[in-house]
Amino acid sequence: MVRRAVRVSEPGAENAERIVSALVAAKVEIATSLPDSWLAPLIARIAAEPKIRHVRVTREDDGVGICAGASLGGKRAVLVCQNAGVLLSANVLAGYAHHHQLPFLVLAVYRGSYEDRFHYQMYKGLVTEPVLDGLRIPYHVVDDVGDASIVGDAVREADLGRKPVVLLFRRAALLGDVTKAS
Amino acid sequence: MRRTVAARLFAKHLAPDDIVVCGLGSTRRAWSEVGAPQLTYNASDPMGMGPALALGLALARPDRRIVLLEGDGDLAMNLGALVTIAGAAPTNLRLAVFINDRYETGGGQPLPNAGNISYVMVAAGAGWPWTGEAHDESQADRLVPALLERPGLGLLALHVDAEPSPYPADPGPTSQAEDKVAFQRRLDRAS
Repeated sequence: MVRRAVRVSEPGAENAERIVSALVAAKVEIATSLPDSWLAPLIARIAAEPKIRHVRVTREDDGVGICAGASLGGKRAVLVCQNAGVLLSANVLAGYAHHHQLPFLVLAVYRGSYEDRFHYQMYKGLVTEPVLDGLRIPYHVVDDVGDASIVGDAVREADLGRKPVVLLFRRAALLGDVTKAS
Repeated sequence: MRRTVAARLFAKHLAPDDIVVCGLGSTRRAWSEVGAPQLTYNASDPMGMGPALALGLALARPDRRIVLLEGDGDLAMNLGALVTIAGAAPTNLRLAVFINDRYETGGGQPLPNAGNISYVMVAAGAGWPWTGEAHDESQADRLVPALLERPGLGLLALHVDAEPSPYPADPGPTSQAEDKVAFQRRLDRAS
């Protein structure tokens, strides 16, 4: 029996492609990540990207530290994680933003809002933006990925401001127009 | 073994173009007292981030050997970093942990489970391909070059004496951000 290869377009694959293309165009060469189910297509695409060195971390603040070290060495870097990782990394983000003044990008999935289906995620939606405001870390909420030009803009903003910039991606901006929650 | 003796062994065996990253606290002070010429970045605060910062620098600069001189208090704060580093497996990173079982700069308080922690076993269990442990100067004099000369990732645990290390009276003339700029300029000039 001859098996036919069936090409399945996974939800989020197209958005992941746009985001990774934007990261490469912005000369981001190092990516650290800790998974979330909404990030699965993006992390898989980053792992497959030959122009980006991908490092899997055990804690998100380690990812922040790696990005800071990469920035110290003259490379652009991104941490990909859930907003829980942003909350966990509060002290570390503040230290590298205001004490060391090292720029890098944090691309976080924004759990705990109207798109979510899990009660245990909701507190994160309540506190993420107030915490970032308190830390004086610039951030932008991404509702629609569009052409992903926000990625390059945020990298430039980080460089100019000499501090990390956080992009909070809504589910739709990562996975497209899908209704099945996970 | 006094911590400055351990630091001096690194000064003796490091190559001129090696880069040193120092964790915060007494290890940094020991390295500073030695006055070695190698390009050095003091990881300072945030505490616990020395290994991650050194890993990021090693990934960014694969052309240079990065040597992290780390205190056990800083490392114990974030042992998961050993798993992350083993997974990334940069061949140009070496880690030396100075063990005195105390938070020296904070006043000499003991670490949790002080005296019973084996960092070489933790690292080996996390997948580090080489570990060594020195309890005195003669062992350190043999193992420091072994750490540096091996072809890949390695962790050396050095047991050092407990010695007071109070906060300096003067924080120094430059900010961390200014130190960063100076470090990057020297790094760029050497490229």
